Amino acid sequence: MNQHRILVVDDEPQIQRFLNPALTASGYEVILASTGAEAERLIATSAPDLVILDLGLPDKDGKDVIETVRAFSEVPIIVLSARDRETEKIVSLDLGANDYVEKPFGIGELLARVRSALRQKAAGTSVPSRFEANGLVVDMAKRIVTRNGEEVHLTRKEYQLLVHLVLHAGMVVTHRQLLASVWGGAHVEDLQYLRVFVGQLRAKIEDDANNPQFIRTEAGVGYRFIAE
Amino acid sequence: MADHGQRNRPDPDKLLELTARETRGKLTVFLGAAPGVGKTYAMLLRARRLKEDGEDIVIGIAETHGRAETAKLLDGLEVVPRRRVTYRDRALEEFDIDAAIARKPKTLVVDELAHTNVPGSRHPKRYQDIEELLWQGIDVWTAMNVQHLESLSDLVTSITGVTVREIVPDTVLKRADEVLLVDLPPAELIERLKEGKVYLPGNAERAAEGFFKPANLTALRELALRRTADRVDDQMIDLLRQSAIEGPWATGERLLVCVGPDSLSDKVVRTASRLASGLNARWLVVSLTQTSDAGAETSKRIDELLDLAERLGAETRRVIAQDFVEEIFRIARRENVTQIVVGRPKSRRFANPFRRSLPDEIIKRFTDIGVHIVTGEEQGGAYKPPSMRKRSRRELAAAIAIPVITTGMTTLLGLGVSDIVHTQNLSMLFLVAVILSAMISGRLSAVIAAGLSFVFYNFFFLEPLHDLSIAKPHQLFSLVIFLAVALMIGDLAGRLRDQVARSRNQAKNTQALYEFSRKLSGTARLDDVLFSTATQLHSTFGTGVTILLPGDGDLSTQTAWPPDLTLDGTDMTAVRWAFEKNERAGHDTATLPLIDWQFLPILTSHGVAGVLGLFMQDRPPLTENEDRMLIAILDQTAIAIDRAQLVRENAKTTALQESEKLHTALFSSLSHDLRTPLASITGAVTTLRQLGDRIKPDGRDDLLLSIEEEAGRLTRFVANLFDMTRIEAGTLKVKNVPIDAAEVIVSSIERMKKLKPEIAIEISIAPDLPAVNGDPSLLGQVLFNLLDNAAKYAGDGPIAIYARQEDTEVAISVTDQGKGIPPKDLDKIFDKFYRRVKGDGRAAGTGLGLSIARGFVESMGGTIKAESPAIRKRGTRFIVRLPRANPTGEAA
Repeated sequence: MNQHRILVVDDEPQIQRFLNPALTASGYEVILASTGAEAERLIATSAPDLVILDLGLPDKDGKDVIETVRAFSEVPIIVLSARDRETEKIVSLDLGANDYVEKPFGIGELLARVRSALRQKAAGTSVPSRFEANGLVVDMAKRIVTRNGEEVHLTRKEYQLLVHLVLHAGMVVTHRQLLASVWGGAHVEDLQYLRVFVGQLRAKIEDDANNPQFIRTEAGVGYRFIAE
Repeated sequence: MADHGQRNRPDPDKLLELTARETRGKLTVFLGAAPGVGKTYAMLLRARRLKEDGEDIVIGIAETHGRAETAKLLDGLEVVPRRRVTYRDRALEEFDIDAAIARKPKTLVVDELAHTNVPGSRHPKRYQDIEELLWQGIDVWTAMNVQHLESLSDLVTSITGVTVREIVPDTVLKRADEVLLVDLPPAELIERLKEGKVYLPGNAERAAEGFFKPANLTALRELALRRTADRVDDQMIDLLRQSAIEGPWATGERLLVCVGPDSLSDKVVRTASRLASGLNARWLVVSLTQTSDAGAETSKRIDELLDLAERLGAETRRVIAQDFVEEIFRIARRENVTQIVVGRPKSRRFANPFRRSLPDEIIKRFTDIGVHIVTGEEQGGAYKPPSMRKRSRRELAAAIAIPVITTGMTTLLGLGVSDIVHTQNLSMLFLVAVILSAMISGRLSAVIAAGLSFVFYNFFFLEPLHDLSIAKPHQLFSLVIFLAVALMIGDLAGRLRDQVARSRNQAKNTQALYEFSRKLSGTARLDDVLFSTATQLHSTFGTGVTILLPGDGDLSTQTAWPPDLTLDGTDMTAVRWAFEKNERAGHDTATLPLIDWQFLPILTSHGVAGVLGLFMQDRPPLTENEDRMLIAILDQTAIAIDRAQLVRENAKTTALQESEKLHTALFSSLSHDLRTPLASITGAVTTLRQLGDRIKPDGRDDLLLSIEEEAGRLTRFVANLFDMTRIEAGTLKVKNVPIDAAEVIVSSIERMKKLKPEIAIEISIAPDLPAVNGDPSLLGQVLFNLLDNAAKYAGDGPIAIYARQEDTEVAISVTDQGKGIPPKDLDKIFDKFYRRVKGDGRAAGTGLGLSIARGFVESMGGTIKAESPAIRKRGTRFIVRLPRANPTGEAA
């Protein structure tokens, strides 16, 4: 069995104290680092499959670690951050982190994010031609979207938006990333576009647009497509 | 579109003016063309009607002039009793403003707006009384004739030939909320006059014959009608602006009025005023002079002119320029002037035919701006050139005595030496006398000395002696030459003396001002600024000075020099007036002119900051120069006060920023210290619940232990927060009992060991250690916090606790062998939320432990301090000193 190796970067011993047994028990191999420098070294030398990174490190800012690592590695990074540090989260994601978990968190939530990130990594660069979840089918080869067998008509932008979310299913996608990929770099500040189109998209694919099951809002950060 | 919206918005300035007016009383003016048109009658009739409607309307003063039909109207109306005053042995009755203010009716009728009060009244003029009443929130009805309006007074004089003495500034009528025209055709008025129905004061009867001519009355009537029509226009425009109704209300005209010290300028200003009100234009009056050191007379004259212009509603500006036309051109362009008003004297005796006059130059220069030329004759009497200024009697005596003395002495000297010196050369001696006179007392003396020299020289030294006739023609020639030379030299020397005196005076003023501003620039505290100002003014003007600032609802003296000066109630009224109205009050001003003090507002960029008082009883009125000096000093003071207040506000802001920083620190500390244990507990619990069956038993135990430990950490942190809050809120209950320090030390060490079993602690307690006064649980917490702190920074070395007696105190020290604390940080470590950085670069602890320790120790009446380095350039030692328990306590 191909065991995934996870690097936990946190300087608080009490966090490592439960993460280590929990991840081990879930079938992962755990390596630990308590400083940013150590983390960068281990990512370069030990080839972890995923990194769980606390942003508050004694020697350097966790965001700098992301930046450095992204220069040489595409390893999925899940950031641990406080709920009130919104900008910190957004910057981390825009710098290349794959997801974040707010402290304090239950282990189940973290493990779900870890699974999503690892799945994403396994999919790699090959774009799947078909996606299916809970009755929603996105056939990217034929460019057809069906909901419970009925075809859903989407405009070009709505379709692009949906595909982008679906390709990152389970992971948070920031407003900026969505705007850049669907509308282009010039529109990364035009949050209003995004809200309108997400609203339209929800109206077409969700059972109840006010209580969305597929496209969840991550307040102040972005959207997350739920596939499970 | 945007422009449209902009225009439709009510003009905020206009609305502000409106709200200011709402707290003010409303002024209603009954305007008539001439005496006898029935203003008082109309006013009283209306008052009666209002009274019948239940309005609170009271008569302040109404002149019935003994006419029965008018007097009858007063029946049933409440009348404020008049004030009896004696002036020059004559008993007079005057309007009692204090009684009126005390009665405070809604509406008060005060007849005769143009009336001049008896000297000694609060205000010299009745319109000032009315201004105060309005200001008190009382609506006032008053009456006046159009001839009393300042801007019309010269016109009225030229129409009727009667000089108008009682004058009301145009601004009074302009600011009136309502103007009612009381009109009567001239023919009827003359009829009334013939029937004796028009009262005229005795001395005016003769003038009346010339005055009440149909032509005059028609002209006056036209003036009154036109003035009222202007008012209607203004009101319409105001209304349009307030309610943002679009309309062609802005004429956009702007007049530039150029004046100089010549006597024609009065007329220019008045004409411009009428023009401006007719055009509904804003107008700017500019005084033009070529040099800044124009004589005192000139600048006084300019002041008067600009005052007049301001009273008539103009903006004013003083301009010093070499090229008038160029300057006028610049101002006109900058201010968007559409028309220029300038005066041209009709006959100029010394007019230079080759030089063009100013109006001609202006007309040539401006092709797109209308130029109004006001012509008239220069009235010699109105304006005296500087050299004709009046001398004081003493000056005049000196000017005559000195040349008499010098020439007399010279004559005596000449008689003494006439045998050895040639007569011809003696004239030189007289020249010396002329120069001396000029230098001592000026040009007039020089001229007198020259004349006397001429006479004495001729009389005593020229043949025939003792006779004013001259024998030889060449002597006559030299005598005439002598006189010419003496006059010229005398004039030059006198001029030089005047200039020297003037520049010395100026240098003195400049020096004083310079030193004052330098003194002020070094002071940032308000008290120092005020003190410097008071002493400076005292030494400059040689009189008492007081400065009052607002505070706690009223103005109070902040600084006075000499310090024993006091103000009485009337003085304080003037002070308040100066402060609230932003104008001079008291001695030699329009308000309370008979008191000994003159009060000036100190105007800063934020409005009136205070009031300056000068004690004027023992000194002559301020000269023009002194006044300018005073204003310069006041300006400096205002700037310094502004600055002092800014410094104070700045300090406040800094303090606020500091507290903000502290709050941020509190939040970051709270969020980190609360969140980490919570995250650990949540993580461990969810791990156990979801993955428990997949974890080995000892792994599960460790997770459970971590939960317990983290819960303990949270508990301690919350307890610390509570302790801190109790210390800060002052609700800490401190027991004061004798305690055995040794026991407390041991128990806190045990508590520490439970938390950190690996820690090494050395204990040394003096065997005969006396009991201390304090609270055992607080002391225990203090020691625990110190141990906890030491453990964090100690490194591997052991921690030492010593307890010793020191005189009346017991000292307990906790020493670690860590890196120590740099001296600059020693003071800060007891501050709330101050945290040093741990060896690994991370801030340690909650930042509360030492702060709480200090709070507890101090609440027990002890002291705590830190020393570093403690041993061999390493470590930190905390020493807690607590008072020994008293013997009775020991016995118990």
